[in-house]
Amino acid sequence: MIHLKNINLRVPGFVLKNINLHVQKNDFFSLIGPTGSGKSLLLEGITGLLPFSSGTLLVGNQEMTRLAVEKRNIAIVYQNFALFPHLTVTQNIFYGVAYHSISKQTALKRFDLLVSTLGLKKIITRHPQTLSGGEKQRVALARSLILNPSVLLLDEPLSALDPIFHEDAKQLLKKIHDDLDITIIMVSHNFSDVLYLANRGAIIKAGEIMQQGEIATIFERPNSKFTAFFVGMKNIHPIHNRNGKIIVKEENIEITPSSQACSTAQYMAIRPENISLKTIGMEKFENCFTGKIERITSNGVFLNVYLQTQNFQFEAIWPRSYLRDHDLDIGNSIVFGFHPESVHTF
Amino acid sequence: MKRIEPLNCLFFLLSLPLILLLTLPLLQMTFQPSLAMLMETISDKEVMGAIARSIGLSLGAGILSFLMGTPLAYMLARKEIIGKKIIEGIIDLPIMIPHPVVGIAILSLTGRNHPIGRFLSDIGIQIMGTRTGIICVLLFVGLPFYVNTVKAGFESVPIQLENASRTLGAGKFSTFLRITVPLTWRHMILGIIMCTARAISEFGAVVIVAYHPMTAPVMIYERFTAYGLKYSQPIAVWLIIISFGLFILLRMLSNSTHPQCR
Repeated sequence: MIHLKNINLRVPGFVLKNINLHVQKNDFFSLIGPTGSGKSLLLEGITGLLPFSSGTLLVGNQEMTRLAVEKRNIAIVYQNFALFPHLTVTQNIFYGVAYHSISKQTALKRFDLLVSTLGLKKIITRHPQTLSGGEKQRVALARSLILNPSVLLLDEPLSALDPIFHEDAKQLLKKIHDDLDITIIMVSHNFSDVLYLANRGAIIKAGEIMQQGEIATIFERPNSKFTAFFVGMKNIHPIHNRNGKIIVKEENIEITPSSQACSTAQYMAIRPENISLKTIGMEKFENCFTGKIERITSNGVFLNVYLQTQNFQFEAIWPRSYLRDHDLDIGNSIVFGFHPESVHTF
Repeated sequence: MKRIEPLNCLFFLLSLPLILLLTLPLLQMTFQPSLAMLMETISDKEVMGAIARSIGLSLGAGILSFLMGTPLAYMLARKEIIGKKIIEGIIDLPIMIPHPVVGIAILSLTGRNHPIGRFLSDIGIQIMGTRTGIICVLLFVGLPFYVNTVKAGFESVPIQLENASRTLGAGKFSTFLRITVPLTWRHMILGIIMCTARAISEFGAVVIVAYHPMTAPVMIYERFTAYGLKYSQPIAVWLIIISFGLFILLRMLSNSTHPQCR
């Protein structure tokens, strides 16, 4: 559906380097990366607002690399929604219709459908300044969707929303994608949003694609230290292999990985939520350690617990109730561990 | 009881002389001429002609600055052009240059000794002693006020609105007309007001380029030098009253549209 081949894009002080992406029809594709990694720049490049320095952009079978912005039929919903303040909600939604060969009847039919799907009926006569963040987002979506774009680009669609609208907006984006069979490319720096919404994606760092593919694969099998860290893995350490075991280079600790672990891997990572307390009656962990709780930091409902063994530190994430139920506190000696399947190598 | 802030008192005391400096001379001048004198002045066709000429030509300069200054202001606000700072400096120059110098500069360029002057003359455009010449210098002195005001207006429109419009299918010009202009036309009106106001008050450049046809400031000067203060004051009062009324009208016009457009 969308092919980006060897794309380079230069702006003062930043460059997108040799981007190769393949987005399939009806994908919910996510570009994931930290602030300043070039995700939004790539979106602007796809819209044509910023010209690519080199490379090819194909949408369907049509080459769009040099096509004018207004002729691409690629819609974008910005983080701040970019609604036209001098127009009402209805006028905003109909804005682009005049530039597309859409009959009045079709436009009205789509308008009615979008108004009911997105729950806009009560606000269609209002101006954007009087709307909440969630309402603004729905109007911006309707304004794009009425044109039946070939691709819908979402630039951090959930970042500017209050927490109370965040969940609703997530559900709505999922519903739009499922109901309308539309190809979406979403930029996000929040991996939990991506995990819920997207089926495929790419991790981008400093203008370069680090990994792309199925979101579940990126989440479970990151291919670099950066990606591992970005998808929430902790306990990332350089390693070498010895007779099927992992030896953590720094401290010479032996860890048993799963049978699928790569023998040439240079790093290992363990999700903090995969580290468990060994309790009575529990089967034996193959990777079992004795250590002290050195530090506990709050992470909302969950707590980051730093476990110090004789010569190594692990980071675990446990619910508050877990610590309360097991009467754990800083300084306590505990036995903890993790299964070989929890050890990721790359 | 409301407490009086010492700092506010100090600031007020420091501001007071300035307010008095601005208002006292104008009030004194406005209320000095008798009503009979004012009525006699307004019935003088020469005076009315000069005031009408001043306002008309100044409005003409304001409209020309709108037509020619708007694209310039947009480019300066939106485009990264080479030498942008230099162009901005050049636009501000008329604020700094003594205005008789502006008149002399324009005359030296448009005289018969200069190719441009000869070319203009050949196509029938005269600068010296004509309304065209007056509009030319008024545009020169008023343009910075228009361009700077409208440039600030364009800069206040988020670029993403224009970008969103483009992705929805609108071309650059259509985006300019449907998004940028509706969100900045207030700045354009304000710019025209500022440019016109500055042009109405212009004396130094106008007197060099065209003593005749006489504008109101030149007539005030002429009456002052020929007959004294008593005969120049009423013209000044009428110029102030009419200009003030005109500007209030323009302000009301620019405030009367939909509140969402502000």
